[in-house]
Amino acid sequence: MQLKQTLIIAFALSIISISAWELYWRSQGLQPNIDDNKNLWANQRAKLENFNNKTVVFIGSSRILYDIQLDIWEKETGTNSIELATQGASPTPVFRDIVKNTTFNGTLIVGITPPLFFATTNPKAEFIRRSQSLVDYYKKRTYAQIINHKLSVPLQQNLAFIRDGDESWDSDVDLKTLLKQIHIGTREGPAYPPFNNFEDISLDRHMKMPERMVTDTAYANTVKKVWTSILSGDFPPPDKESTINAFVDLAKKFKKRGGNLILVRCPSSGLFKEVESKAFSKNLFWDELVAKTKAKAYNYQDYSQFKDLFCPEWSHLAAKDAQFFTKELIKIMKADGALTNLKTN
Amino acid sequence: MLFNSLSFVVFLVIVLALYYSKIFSWTGKKRMLLFASYIFYGLWNPPLVILLWISTVVDWITGKKLATEENKRKRLYWLLLSMFVNLGFLTFFKYRDFLLDNFTTVVNSYGYGYQTTHMDIILPMGISFYTFQTMSYTIDMYLKRTERAKTFLDFALYVTFFPQLVAGPIVRAQDLISQFYEEKRATVNQFIWGLFLLTLGLFQKVVMADTLLSDTVDTVYGSGKILNFWDAWMGTLAFSGQIFFDFAGYSTCAIGIALMLGIILPDNFRYPYASLGFSDLWKRWHITLSSWLRDYLYIPLGGNRHGVVRMYAALMITMLLGGLWHGAAWTFIVWGGLHGTYLILERLQRQYLPFKITKWNGMFLAFTTFTCVNITWVFFRAREFKTAWNMITSMFYLNPDGEKVLANFDILKVGIVIGLLFICHWFMRNTSVEAVSKKIHPWALGVVWASMFFLIVIAQGSGEQFIYFQF
Repeated sequence: MQLKQTLIIAFALSIISISAWELYWRSQGLQPNIDDNKNLWANQRAKLENFNNKTVVFIGSSRILYDIQLDIWEKETGTNSIELATQGASPTPVFRDIVKNTTFNGTLIVGITPPLFFATTNPKAEFIRRSQSLVDYYKKRTYAQIINHKLSVPLQQNLAFIRDGDESWDSDVDLKTLLKQIHIGTREGPAYPPFNNFEDISLDRHMKMPERMVTDTAYANTVKKVWTSILSGDFPPPDKESTINAFVDLAKKFKKRGGNLILVRCPSSGLFKEVESKAFSKNLFWDELVAKTKAKAYNYQDYSQFKDLFCPEWSHLAAKDAQFFTKELIKIMKADGALTNLKTN
Repeated sequence: MLFNSLSFVVFLVIVLALYYSKIFSWTGKKRMLLFASYIFYGLWNPPLVILLWISTVVDWITGKKLATEENKRKRLYWLLLSMFVNLGFLTFFKYRDFLLDNFTTVVNSYGYGYQTTHMDIILPMGISFYTFQTMSYTIDMYLKRTERAKTFLDFALYVTFFPQLVAGPIVRAQDLISQFYEEKRATVNQFIWGLFLLTLGLFQKVVMADTLLSDTVDTVYGSGKILNFWDAWMGTLAFSGQIFFDFAGYSTCAIGIALMLGIILPDNFRYPYASLGFSDLWKRWHITLSSWLRDYLYIPLGGNRHGVVRMYAALMITMLLGGLWHGAAWTFIVWGGLHGTYLILERLQRQYLPFKITKWNGMFLAFTTFTCVNITWVFFRAREFKTAWNMITSMFYLNPDGEKVLANFDILKVGIVIGLLFICHWFMRNTSVEAVSKKIHPWALGVVWASMFFLIVIAQGSGEQFIYFQF
């Protein structure tokens, strides 16, 4: 065997083919980016082990992740943020983890997205399991997994085809995801429309809506199609009583040890707003949660300045509107005396 | 640490650089390999390295005593001590909850309201593999079939050698320890071939098992539904491919990495899906485990030396325990029992209905064997008997109205992959990758190698654990 020759050929062809693959995806408009995943979440969770009196923790779903701009938050309040919101999931498992497994007693801001929050407390349900899996991953992650993540970051930052998302909605371009996009007939039922990426996240989980979602309406509409497809599916009725009770129980424990709990309802529009208004009316769900929790609470529907904010795909704010929302929300909270660990200069 | 991870790439580069540098003497290199092996294992769960140390020290002392002790009774005590420690760890970590659950079920069937709580103990990765490997040393020492390891370092490295620590091949002492006595350096060709095998193993794991087959298996076996004939078969066929590519991939990586260090590890798979019957299958599938079970269980149980009935009983016990080795569940025992039954039926057929295998009926026999193996995989993969039963009934077309959970493309993909796998095994059954690659032009082999590497890179495996780590 002429293995040296073989190795040289293999090496050269590998470099050529991988370079071509990278160039192809760049020509398709893909740029290197960081994916929101369990490791980014676990890194944030690790920060909570060493919280101080300037720490503010955010939990909730993707809306608070997109809509609260952490750079503005930290600048305007002089606090250090820890972003533990989980996309497409209920915040209750994360809240339970904070109450049970930490001594954190600072400001905790909880984003309430009604279809996710009031859905269920069933641990096997997707909305619960997803956030619980992040909590479990943090507890169980190995040193090898920590090192793998650290090594993968420079690759994600420099190569467009390297993606590291965990969820089916992450528009990865790995082989498995690409094969999943091939459909022949509809044997297992109609295929979901492709879920195009609209994430721009930093290593400390500061999420921004990409500009393309604002400038390219057709692209934003592809995400709306996905929401329409999901929202037209069959869902069990919300389990208001048990979801509120579970949350209130945790809230009592958190406040008892001196924690400052704040609830926030972030904007939605279009089909989402329609569905949420009908199935999760404010007075029946939000008002009851606030009354039972006895926490400071801010619902965008109560403030005129938040009426016309732009959600390019109905559920999350465009970057500029998120900046405005963050600034205005801080003003409202400050005026209300809700933030207890503001900068004192 | 997983072979299919970035941390392992960095780890391997550092180990190879140190191994081939002139900093260390051969003893220094072995110390470095031992230390690296503990790092390799400890990065997963550092405290569990202590189990490796205990196992190593106990078996080293046992071996030392067995080398000099002539008193038969004392020799037996030393052997029992080693087995007690090794099997004790295995039982505690792997079988404790299973035994407790069964005990509870039996006790409660007499009306007692006994309740147990699971300790939620983590299963040390690879415990079944390194336990069997170290036990083979003490048993061979007891039977005077092998020499005592010359130094503690050689023995510790034999127990812990990172390429095969967590999922084999299970190597006998005489095959590995003796390789540590003199300095080993891979030749350039060995090194390159080792790198090729590492690429091939990763291709099997990352591309074939994880990318092309695992989702179909999870969809089918996780559906919780009574399925259509096609879905049940495709899910099971996909699993047969997944477990082969996953495990053979690991073994190929292990052999390749060891070869890059100049160490030879034995083959663990020889194209098992083209086996002509079940005796042939067990000479081709997980060879190092089946030979371990043959030498340390089947033969001591009497083998074929005490008549037909005893032989069948030994065969069945061996396969049942082989099933239990894979996992602490009754489904694994049924899997072993089915294989035991197949082996007995095959021997009966040979005795009462012998026929000559020709190239014409050979492929049919291989296909029949593969089909029967797939029936056993159902019990291996299903977590519960209910799932297994639903799958089996669907596969025998007893649920014609079963649900469809797979897309047409999934069916096509699995059909092509498994079809090619079967054909490949058929044509490769009497040869090897090395022999075939010698006949190929360097350019063609280079293209194959680059294609595999390219597919590994674009598959970007998300670091899925190897299936056999759980055993």
